[in-house]
Amino acid sequence: MSRTAPPAQGPSSRRTLLVLRLALGGIFVFASLDKLLHPAAFAEIIVSYRVLPAVLVNAAAIVLPWLELVLGLLLLAGRLLDGALLLVNLLLLAFWGSLVFNYARGLDVHCGCFSTAAVAAGDMGWYVMRDGLFVALALACMVFFLHVARTGCRSGPQ
Amino acid sequence: MYTGFARMAARACAILALSSVLALAVNALRPDGLPLVRLGPPSVIAAEAGSPYISLQDAALLHLSGRAVFLDARSVGEYVAGHVKGALSVPLEDYAQLAAGVKAAAGGKETIVTYCDGENCPLSEDLADQLRQDGQANVRVLKNGWSLWQNEKLPVAGGPNP
Repeated sequence: MSRTAPPAQGPSSRRTLLVLRLALGGIFVFASLDKLLHPAAFAEIIVSYRVLPAVLVNAAAIVLPWLELVLGLLLLAGRLLDGALLLVNLLLLAFWGSLVFNYARGLDVHCGCFSTAAVAAGDMGWYVMRDGLFVALALACMVFFLHVARTGCRSGPQ
Repeated sequence: MYTGFARMAARACAILALSSVLALAVNALRPDGLPLVRLGPPSVIAAEAGSPYISLQDAALLHLSGRAVFLDARSVGEYVAGHVKGALSVPLEDYAQLAAGVKAAAGGKETIVTYCDGENCPLSEDLADQLRQDGQANVRVLKNGWSLWQNEKLPVAGGPNP
């Protein structure tokens, strides 16, 4: 007996995990595409966040889109889920943190979340809310994964 | 309780490493790949290579950053009355005696800037020619230097010392 209500047991838990990871994987793959095509524009957006030191900007612009793509594909395929979910959670927290940080200090940045197109900076409040939802989604995904992994181990061979 | 946290962390590192290798490889191959380290423009000095002149902005910037030695081509009396701070007095007729000192002062500097006063003052140009003949590279004339320098209230000094 645990004191807090555990997530739904058994197959429904697995189904929820499946839905959550497919949604999250889709978001990550979709988010990576435009950045993969336009690394220079993405680098400019990273600069505009004024969070990373200049020497790390290009490395981030090169690696982040591929990392997002790989993570998205792993989530969709259901491979290496534990590591992928850990990275997804860390990444989304970092993205969300940078958005909140800039929102708090009054900088309007171009989100660069799904598009690198050079349009005017959008509504920071909306970005922060949307990214907050993604953070919650990733966290829920992690919770269900841990739950399924635990019950899966208990209820017999995987 | 879930017990696979070490494996989770290890796999996260593996994914990160794999993605980085993939990203760097593709970046190296694609024609619009980014340089790994982003560099700002090396300098905002706008002087054209090969031009014998230098703009006041460039001269002031080089002065501020200590990258140029300034040579005052006017007479010693004018120099004592006021000169660019840090400039050496090198009247053309005394050049032969002062050449060694100029050479020493120019060591390690990017540019030698010569100046006198007035749009058509030939002293700074003649001094620059002399320096170039002596093998000095990157000698620039700041035309009408003393007037421009004073107008912009850039650092000046009086007396016989730089």
